Amino acid sequence: MIEFQGVYKTYGADSRVSHALQDVNLHIDDGEFAFIVGASGAGKSTFLKLIRREETPTSGEIVVNNFRLSRLKRKDIPYYRRTMGIVFQDFRLIDSMTVFENVAFPMRVVGKSRREIRHRVEHVLALMDLQGKGNRFPRELSGGEQQRVGLARALVNNPSLIIADEPTGNVDPQMSYDIVEMLTQINKISNTTVLMVTHEHELVHQFNHRVITLEKGHIVADTGRPRRVGTVSLGAMAAEMGGAEE
Amino acid sequence: MKLHQFFHLIRESFRNTWQNRLMALASVGVLVCCLMLTGFAYLIYVNVEQVFQNAVEQNKVAVYLDITLSDYQVMRVGQKLENIENIDDIRFLSKEEFLAQYNDALSDETMDSFEGENNPLPDTYIITMKDLAKFRETLTEIEAISGVDEASYDADTAAVLSRVRNVVLAIGSGVIGVLLLVSLFIIVNTIKLTVHNRRLEIYIMKSVGATDGYVRFPFVVEGLLLGIIAGGVGYGLIALLYQLLLDNLTFDNPLLKLVPFSDQWSPLLLGFLVGGMLVGVCGSAISMSKYLKQEGSERL
Repeated sequence: MIEFQGVYKTYGADSRVSHALQDVNLHIDDGEFAFIVGASGAGKSTFLKLIRREETPTSGEIVVNNFRLSRLKRKDIPYYRRTMGIVFQDFRLIDSMTVFENVAFPMRVVGKSRREIRHRVEHVLALMDLQGKGNRFPRELSGGEQQRVGLARALVNNPSLIIADEPTGNVDPQMSYDIVEMLTQINKISNTTVLMVTHEHELVHQFNHRVITLEKGHIVADTGRPRRVGTVSLGAMAAEMGGAEE
Repeated sequence: MKLHQFFHLIRESFRNTWQNRLMALASVGVLVCCLMLTGFAYLIYVNVEQVFQNAVEQNKVAVYLDITLSDYQVMRVGQKLENIENIDDIRFLSKEEFLAQYNDALSDETMDSFEGENNPLPDTYIITMKDLAKFRETLTEIEAISGVDEASYDADTAAVLSRVRNVVLAIGSGVIGVLLLVSLFIIVNTIKLTVHNRRLEIYIMKSVGATDGYVRFPFVVEGLLLGIIAGGVGYGLIALLYQLLLDNLTFDNPLLKLVPFSDQWSPLLLGFLVGGMLVGVCGSAISMSKYLKQEGSERL
């Protein structure tokens, strides 16, 4: 669950003040899929930084996955972040690590055993259609494949929230569609909340998900949670994901 | 931290050091130079200290006693000298032993004429002082003892030596302190570059929920490793250079003999390794702490 109550975020002071977010009120339920759309400078990045607790609001209250972020102590931030997976526009894979090591990275951080890591990583790689590519390095993969590795990394610790920060920005339209579809499957099957930031309106309209529009720091439109089930069919991948849950 | 995580991070530290070997080489090079300069400052101090000690050994004070004193009174003067705090060593030279020192210079006939009651030389105490800076006060104390006739000394040498030693000690300590601070400053900045090169890795670590300790650990191990390598290399080089100096530098004056390296190898090795490790670990920890505090402002 994500809750914003009267959130303001201001940078600078006096005459150089810049309002990145103004009076943002928002509630996203567990298991929802929401697009955050808006032009450059609309406040999307600030919005995500606040959720990841990289920044704190100037005023207002944010609650994510039952963590009240204004009261979150510095030492508790890592444990809060373990409840979420992040997918980046520029993939942010570590070049010196193989695909397997990149995906295993979050599991190592939380102290999973080598056996658990091997089992889970192989499974998630298969889910992302990356079988047999575990020993490759990111530079040996296409953009789409790299983004699927990023998705696998976000998914590997079974997070309750996935934040996708313009994940389709560096891939072709077909791969963009596939990535959003994968995120949709993950959302449907494991009830993971997905928050995807994008500026690709055409892509957003191909899916039946909630759309929140930001403009100059304000929420100017919110379609709310769609009542009917999404148009995306749960195919073979959905069946595989069901098996993935341990 | 779990045991398998600990070993994984140790392996990662070695791997990272190898992957960033150019940066590691730069850090080791800087640290080796600073350690060697510190080591040379230490060796200069040790050598000056030895020259001073040699000179002090030769700067003995002869305390001549009244020739009319009885054996008991001579012993009492000796006890009073022992009670003076600044006296390091006392050696008694009886009038007979004193006379015997002139055996070669005087004829047997003359020597015979000075036997027993006719011996004109006084019983004497040869003393060495602990601190030559207190030479004057100590001498006054000695001369105030009843039964002391005269104290023979070289006050100028004592004063000059004391001053030289204090100046060298102050400069040496200052130089070592400054060099260690400079090493730390350079290492902090070199490691900061390493950390900056790996900011993506750190950002990913933090974004997936790594604690500050987990992020910092491999860098600290890396600092420790670089410190040990720098300590070892620096020690080897300084041993080599000092040996070259020993082989090629000779002085006519026995006071100016260089301290053999074998006398100093253990404190130097310990100092180099501990110094290297401390600077490496502190440098890494300081660089990382500054970086970890920049929450949310990473520029990738």
